Amino acid sequence: MSAPQRGFWDSLAPGARRAFFGLVLAAVCFLFAFPVLWLMLTSLRPESGVYYVHKGLEFTLDSYKQIFSDERLVNAFINSGAIATLATFFSLLVTVSSGYMLSRFRGRIASTWFGVIYAMRCVPYITWVLPLYFVVQSYGVYDTYIGLLLPHIAVHICFFSWLMKGFFDGIDPSMEHAALIDGCTRWGAFYRVALPSAIPAISALTVLCWLFTWNEFLFAQILTGRNTPVITVVMSQFVSEMGLQWNLMSATAILALVPAFVLTLFGQKYVIQGLKI
Amino acid sequence: MSEIVLTKLNKHYGGMHHAVRNIDLTIGDKEFITLVGPSGCGKSTTLRMIAGLEEITSGEIRIGGTLVNHLPPRDRDVAMVFQNYALYQHMSVFDNLAFGLRNKKVPEAEIKKAIRNAADILGLGELMQRKPRQLSGGQQQRVALGRCIVRNPKVFLFDEPLSNLDAKLRIQMRVEIKRLRARVPTTSVFVTHDQVEAMTLGDRVVVMKDGYIQQCGTPLQVYGEPANKFVAGFIGSPSMNFFEVGIHAQDGELIAQTPFLRARVSERYKAALAAWNGRTVILGVRPEHLRVNASDVDPIGKVEIEVIEQLGSEILLETRAGDLSMTVARVNPQLPVAAGDVIQLSVPSDQLHFFDPETESAIR
Repeated sequence: MSAPQRGFWDSLAPGARRAFFGLVLAAVCFLFAFPVLWLMLTSLRPESGVYYVHKGLEFTLDSYKQIFSDERLVNAFINSGAIATLATFFSLLVTVSSGYMLSRFRGRIASTWFGVIYAMRCVPYITWVLPLYFVVQSYGVYDTYIGLLLPHIAVHICFFSWLMKGFFDGIDPSMEHAALIDGCTRWGAFYRVALPSAIPAISALTVLCWLFTWNEFLFAQILTGRNTPVITVVMSQFVSEMGLQWNLMSATAILALVPAFVLTLFGQKYVIQGLKI
Repeated sequence: MSEIVLTKLNKHYGGMHHAVRNIDLTIGDKEFITLVGPSGCGKSTTLRMIAGLEEITSGEIRIGGTLVNHLPPRDRDVAMVFQNYALYQHMSVFDNLAFGLRNKKVPEAEIKKAIRNAADILGLGELMQRKPRQLSGGQQQRVALGRCIVRNPKVFLFDEPLSNLDAKLRIQMRVEIKRLRARVPTTSVFVTHDQVEAMTLGDRVVVMKDGYIQQCGTPLQVYGEPANKFVAGFIGSPSMNFFEVGIHAQDGELIAQTPFLRARVSERYKAALAAWNGRTVILGVRPEHLRVNASDVDPIGKVEIEVIEQLGSEILLETRAGDLSMTVARVNPQLPVAAGDVIQLSVPSDQLHFFDPETESAIR
């Protein structure tokens, strides 16, 4: 019998293994960070220098100043923030109880609701846009907060009820049974026992939901116009017949990253916990 | 008075699975009943129907004379301990204990007094401000017991509360539950799949299988006079030995015989077995009733030792005679035996059990 062949990894000394592992990690991190770093670099260059980011040494905050002086851009930030927050709040109101129902109840109502959500999830996201456009138009809410909010809420309910169901599946129902015996109504057992146990899950969902709406482009592009600019759409409008304003677009993108970055930083513990389910 | 009366209790799941069948059972005031049986026998379902966590398909449940069929759990005045403790994870031990009383709008001073009393009984004093996840399994189960005591309910319900504990802790908690019973006598129903728990805790033991009650009696009754082959095999450890024997009369005696074993039927069973003369029945012998090379009791035959399990306090023997295998327990640990030895087994004839091979019910 021949001795087992030693692979590349086995032939390395423990120190070298650590160094090699670190190198690979650094390479992977760089791969993901590179676009963001490049974006940041571009946003700090004058308009004339954006094509020579790697060559020039001239840096300026002009692009940022220009953005803050543009009322439409400032409005877009406010609108995006407001819509993301409102959509998150209202969709969670429904999602939490709907996820709970899917997890705990059997019967016609629960299975019908399950069917509706399942069917909605089977439809590709993009196919919703055109019908939604006509619906929004016919109700006269095109290019308003409500016209963008309602579709977002509907989509979130369908997508996140599943996640919420998964969270509640992971919570032991005997705790609620104990609460029922301890004097709670069915609603009380949900509100006082199941809900507090689901706070990590709800926090995760809040972060996911907010980021999803903040970053959403397709609905915003089709369902809003001049009156309700949102940041993702405005960002895309730096591309025009006159050319590309890379520096402005990059600066806007960097600013748009900030709230998402902060939220993820504080919520990542919950998001990871949420994604594990 | 908090007697529980179950009358013709049935539970179907969607018409397909009949989990509990026609249960009739009266649990006396302050009586401790254990429901025991293999998984899927309907014991937990019965308990959950008493608690109000499962709806009843048909039949009646009365607690303290009141029909509770349609009462929600909170109005039945019962308390329950769950297998996985079911403590409220986001609350401290104190709040867990206080939860039920606060729901009843009991004044805070009284709640504190009740909790102090329960904490004294269960030794929870140090743990009051901790969260359940900071407690060991045994401590969590004690908190769960405390949650029942503070409410001072009509009925305690236990759903396999010791199953998640390790063997040593389980014995300790068993004793603690016995002690608790003495201090807080309350009508109790205890579900378990462990026959030792059922026997040691219950005033009466209810053995269930396939949704039916197989036998209900004191621990001594279910052990000494099992109603059928299932109960005989389920209660007792190691399990009872069974084999088919022919019954025939000889010199005014009834003899139970196989090609390898031969036993005299005692006076106790003679009348009942007379009708089986010339037919086959199932003979049951408990491993602990078999004696090795004893001269003072009736010998039943010779067997060969296959496996020896030395436990220190006793020896367990797996033996064989022809195609029959038999377990022998409580053998003197000092007895010089080796695998392959042939030994003489004897058993007092009134320790034999006979079962109808068709219905499997006891013949007596």
